[in-house]
Amino acid sequence: MPVWFGAPVGRTAGLLWGRRWACGELAAVPQLHDVDYTLEYPYTRTTGPVIGPFLTGLRDGRILGQRCGDRVLCPPMEFDPDTFATLDPDLVEVGPGGEVVNWTWVAEPSAKHPFDRPFGFAFIKLDGADTALVHAVDTGGDPEAMGTAMRVRAQFRPERHGSIADVCFVPEADAAEQAIEPGEEPVAITEHLIGLRISEPLYPHRARFAQGLLDGKIIGQRSPVTGKVYVPGRGYDNMSRVLMSEADEVEVSDVGTVVAFTELNPVQYYGQTETEPYVRCSILFDGTDQPVIGIDIRDMTVDEMRVGMRMRCVWRDPEDRSVADIDNRFGNIPETVYARFEPTGEPDVLADDLKDHSW
Amino acid sequence: MAPRPCAVLGIGQTKYKRRRDELTLDGLVREAVLRALEDAGATFEDIDAIVIGKAPDALEGVMMPLLSLADALGAVGKPIHRVHTAGSVGASTAISAVNLVESGMYDTVLTVAYEKQSEGNATWALSGGKSGGQGAGGTFAPWIRNYIARSKAPEHIGWMVAVKDRLNALKNEYAHLHLPDISIEKVRESPMLWDPLHFLESCPSSDGAAAMVLGNDDVARKSGRPPAWVISHAKRTEFGQFPGRDTVRPRAGVECSEVLYRKAGITNPREQIDCAELYVPFSWYEPMWLEGHLIAPEGEGWKMTDDGDTELGGSFPVNMSGGVLSSNPIGASGMIRCLEAASQVRGTAGEYQVPGARIAIGHAYGGAAQYYAMWMVSSELNPEL
Repeated sequence: MPVWFGAPVGRTAGLLWGRRWACGELAAVPQLHDVDYTLEYPYTRTTGPVIGPFLTGLRDGRILGQRCGDRVLCPPMEFDPDTFATLDPDLVEVGPGGEVVNWTWVAEPSAKHPFDRPFGFAFIKLDGADTALVHAVDTGGDPEAMGTAMRVRAQFRPERHGSIADVCFVPEADAAEQAIEPGEEPVAITEHLIGLRISEPLYPHRARFAQGLLDGKIIGQRSPVTGKVYVPGRGYDNMSRVLMSEADEVEVSDVGTVVAFTELNPVQYYGQTETEPYVRCSILFDGTDQPVIGIDIRDMTVDEMRVGMRMRCVWRDPEDRSVADIDNRFGNIPETVYARFEPTGEPDVLADDLKDHSW
Repeated sequence: MAPRPCAVLGIGQTKYKRRRDELTLDGLVREAVLRALEDAGATFEDIDAIVIGKAPDALEGVMMPLLSLADALGAVGKPIHRVHTAGSVGASTAISAVNLVESGMYDTVLTVAYEKQSEGNATWALSGGKSGGQGAGGTFAPWIRNYIARSKAPEHIGWMVAVKDRLNALKNEYAHLHLPDISIEKVRESPMLWDPLHFLESCPSSDGAAAMVLGNDDVARKSGRPPAWVISHAKRTEFGQFPGRDTVRPRAGVECSEVLYRKAGITNPREQIDCAELYVPFSWYEPMWLEGHLIAPEGEGWKMTDDGDTELGGSFPVNMSGGVLSSNPIGASGMIRCLEAASQVRGTAGEYQVPGARIAIGHAYGGAAQYYAMWMVSSELNPEL
């Protein structure tokens, strides 16, 4: 369950942890760990011919609106909001004073909010503009100081980067005079670290699968309808549309057959820690009907791999095994439980016999 | 009740590029939409509904972008629908728009699809934000290996497709990659990314958008624009993983094309269809889809490539525009296939026009090769086969 930055994380997470997933069963299970990780990326935004000058203006201590016929739009838009016709960039300074048209109160600010104390979000019609800008108003934490039709004034932050957060608003009486030093390059591309915090318990069947790995066992689930064995089990048989529970679980062999492989040359991206090429393969363990995908092989080259090759899991010593990275989504066997996979030396299985298991 | 006839009446594309650094997302989408409206001789006022598609929101980090783009698309006071089927989304989106016209619900529908890949990172997004992600190439590479093993195709087939599509792209001003000095040697010697796929056998990462104006038979008659009649379409899906799944020749793909051909009365696709825009993000998917969509017998798709049949000027041209290998704004890539097929039968494909093309198909696949969307367009509403 994703928890947005900006939500009161502690409270929401508390609610989540009070609940157990109804995926397959509701029985009490070994609760190894909660999945708790942050999914974030430094996304960029191209600012374009109208928003670009607007953000450049904020960095330089000015608020700009876009002319649209007889009106001035602030925030500026690239097109007429009534006719949708493209507007040629024609920016004009507005504010820094303005009037609150409507507002709400943020009693418990989050880490990503512009203030660490309670504040107002308001529609502000800046002097010289015909439309309202949504922005934050700092009254020193006092909601009584907020009101419709109140006068506010822009205050620029000491550090500005060409962002909507370069500015905030205060009651006009509280405003200070500011001397702003303009920057140099126009703001063409902005960067934003956008993320989700994911916090959820492991599904019960995942927790048992993970516990099995710690014990040096691979646990699968046998469909009560077809008898087919899935590793790891999903808590249901997606082909027969029936739930599967602990009663359907079986330990399977840790010897299997390579059904597919490639060599990955890691694409470099934010958060990527892999730098060198390595082999990734799928292995169909004996007695199962669906290969485990995403098994990484570090000590063999792609030329040494064959579809049909028999491989055995060589487990790490029990005290060196970890399942901390197991979550509810990726169904692989993590490298943190095995030392390596090694060829058994048995004759290969014919590729034709693996056609139904090619992932 | 028979469906209302539906035609493509206007098409619009942006220039595809690594980074459209002068345009916002709004501006990018509008560039394609305004061109489609102009091509159709229509304005925003003529549009009854909008259907928008793109790949996962994590690619740009804009959640539910249909909401923030509604103004830019002139959707105020009008229905707007968002379609999401991973990489196949561009074609699924187009088909969803066709459904709205065929049902009689709306007369004129605007459909648009886009990706602004430069704002995020697709491999990061497809890896759930974790290290060690294999991306699309790493997912497909093992299945390509299995295809090669099964079909006994020689290794140069992949290189040929990579060269052919890039040469076609030289005739397409919108294409991202223009590589005039592309050659078999260059492809073969480019870095190996996911064995057996070399860098030059892989699609680029592009910013771009594509749009179409679709109308019913009345709108088509009044517009006076050359119509591309959508004479058949199909979508099929299967699970990404299940016992018995054939990842080289997925059953959903086979069935999708069977339905597509049956609805149009096609009994011999290789002979009755003039050309195809197939979703080929990695070179080997050309022969794999020729087989997987029943254009070539199983194990023989690569022979069409090897014999030059799929070249512009060959007996069954594939990806005349340069294809996904030359431009890949992911969410739009499927719509571009549909739109380029329409352009061929409208006779507006310019330098890469297949002479006399009457029937063409556009195709896309997505996810773990598990989502399929295909359409067939013709210059005539009831073409003789």
